[in-house]
Amino acid sequence: MSNNTPEPRQPDAWIKTKDSVLYINPLPIRIWHWLNALGFVALILTGTHIRYAHLFNLMTFETAIKTHNWVAFAVIANYFVWLGFYLFSDRITVYHPELNFRKFFDKAFKQMMYYGYGIFRGHKSPHKVLPHDKFNPMQSITYQIIMLLVVPIQFITGLMMWDIKRFEVPIALLGGISTVSTIHVLIYIFFVSFTLIHAYMGALGNTPATHFREMFTGYEEEH
Amino acid sequence: MVRSTSDDKWSALPIFVIFVICCMVFSGVLHAQQAEEAPVTEAVPTAEAAAEIPASDQAAAPEAGDDATTDVKAKLEETLKKNKKCLRCHNKERTKLLEDGKELSLQVHSQDYLDSAHGEVSCISCHRAIGNRKHPSKKTNISISSEREYSVEMNSSCRKCHMQKYKQYKGSVHSALVTQGSDKAPLCTSCHNPHAPVSMVDYQAETDLPCKNCHESIFNAYSASVHGQARMNGNTIRDSHIQSPICSDCHHSHEVTALAIGDALRTTCIACHENVTLLHSQWLPNTGTHLDIVSCAVCHAPFAQRKYDLHLYDNIAQVPLAMKEGEEPIQQQLQAIAEEGGIKDPLEIWKARRGDMDGQVVDISLRSRMEVMSGVAAHQIANKSFAVRTCDSCHEPGSRQKQNVTVSVTQPDGRIQSFDADREALGSVEAINSISDFYALGGNPSKLLDIMLLLSLAAGIAVPIGHFTLGKMIKEYMARGEQ
Repeated sequence: MSNNTPEPRQPDAWIKTKDSVLYINPLPIRIWHWLNALGFVALILTGTHIRYAHLFNLMTFETAIKTHNWVAFAVIANYFVWLGFYLFSDRITVYHPELNFRKFFDKAFKQMMYYGYGIFRGHKSPHKVLPHDKFNPMQSITYQIIMLLVVPIQFITGLMMWDIKRFEVPIALLGGISTVSTIHVLIYIFFVSFTLIHAYMGALGNTPATHFREMFTGYEEEH
Repeated sequence: MVRSTSDDKWSALPIFVIFVICCMVFSGVLHAQQAEEAPVTEAVPTAEAAAEIPASDQAAAPEAGDDATTDVKAKLEETLKKNKKCLRCHNKERTKLLEDGKELSLQVHSQDYLDSAHGEVSCISCHRAIGNRKHPSKKTNISISSEREYSVEMNSSCRKCHMQKYKQYKGSVHSALVTQGSDKAPLCTSCHNPHAPVSMVDYQAETDLPCKNCHESIFNAYSASVHGQARMNGNTIRDSHIQSPICSDCHHSHEVTALAIGDALRTTCIACHENVTLLHSQWLPNTGTHLDIVSCAVCHAPFAQRKYDLHLYDNIAQVPLAMKEGEEPIQQQLQAIAEEGGIKDPLEIWKARRGDMDGQVVDISLRSRMEVMSGVAAHQIANKSFAVRTCDSCHEPGSRQKQNVTVSVTQPDGRIQSFDADREALGSVEAINSISDFYALGGNPSKLLDIMLLLSLAAGIAVPIGHFTLGKMIKEYMARGEQ
């Protein structure tokens, strides 16, 4: 670590398992991430099967529905692992929005330039990954929207469709089950491309496996 | 002397006549006194009445015995007295030629009548006009145009004693049809013989149920169904005695209604099959919703053709929107299109209906139900081991193409008229708002969402490939530049 690097904040004692400031992804987050990844893939596959039952013959419609429901509940429970961790940890800062728009757009533009050009030239990312500031501006705004808006909406609409009768009133408030279903499907459509692009971007580390390894070990390797 | 003898003989005649009259009067007074003081105990109440009743009927008369029998006999006597004049003629086999050229049997079997629930009712209680000296005959110049017309005329006479049932009947689809001039819709007398009324409980369902007369194909479907079969096997299902339903158990006897709209049918089925929700919830996701919008027969009449049936629903009043009297523009529009052989876009109907009610607070949507195609199919309920349990018969996009879509309109008389509808319209974006609950997972994806999914998938593949290719190109370009 060079002398120019600002002294990073020390992570919470209970998170810190090893004496390293590059311990970016603590165990709860790693567990949440990979369970969530498996869950999302299973939900997308079973969801596709439910929606286009005539195109697939992997399982019966009944099995697809049941699997989708059980996995969905697991993913919802898992979401609270993520939420609980960040609510009770000072690492919540990674999700704090940059309220200075000029600064945000400036940093975001630099990040885009990096992904569009610098990365191919072997430049360093303009964003320095730190335990309390691990997301670059583009990641930051994307994950804020996804984790605090899109994913909860998907859970809520999914829950409503799981038991239409029980959630009759909120469904009616949203304009009926067709509307609820359409919202759920639109988010599913978004997650289809998100999952693919997310996996690709995960392979943009020093080597294609770098970021994947980091997400298993918790340590940032590029510094 | 001879003359004198002769005179004496004739002079005795008035005395004899007076004596006979006195005897008759005395006998009459004595008899009336007996009847008043002590109940009649003979097998045949009076000699006169007995003369009017055929020997076969007399044999069937109850024997003297306990007080109850005595009471019956007293009532019998009373009725016979009341109806003596009528039965003197109408007990015999005779017919009347009506204006329509048909013959009407005028015979009323005395004993059947006396044994019936109407046994104590005098003839003129119902045949009031006749009591008012308006007996149809050549003398009075009163004739009967047809049996049907006479029955329609007489229908309201039941009201006097059977007010509640009569009111129920007046609210039925049958009565509405009679009012509209139907010559087939049942009247009271179509099901109940007024001269020997039998309780519906005593009807032999398989043979003499009156519904069969008009609804024969439906009745045949019922007879072959699990309900009909159980009924014919003495209400025995799997070695246990279960009262299997007959027509009136579901459709009611008097307030006969079509069960196709709303949840009337489900409520009716659940009335006997109480644990239906529990049993379905063991395997069927969203049990409540399925039971709400899928007609029982859709799965339990496994060979029936199915359809998506749409109807306009008033979201404020929370009831299916029925056509009111004098408010029939949509029905006319639908009828006109149907006559041209066209099919309708349900969304147009929805818009038209909203347009009709401009200026009022309206919240109308098209609601859907899965129904079977015909009334016959609705009665072809099979044993539950044959019930459909394959979800994809409804939940796959192709299923829509296999199934029909209709728009149903409840007419002012309570009957439901169905029109073929354009199934393509149901997948459109606009359908999301208008057909708020038209929804079957996978069964009705919209084309727009399908295209968006393909675009998303394409983006998920193209972005990585594009980015990777861009990187390659930049690297090559830079490498060339360095050279």
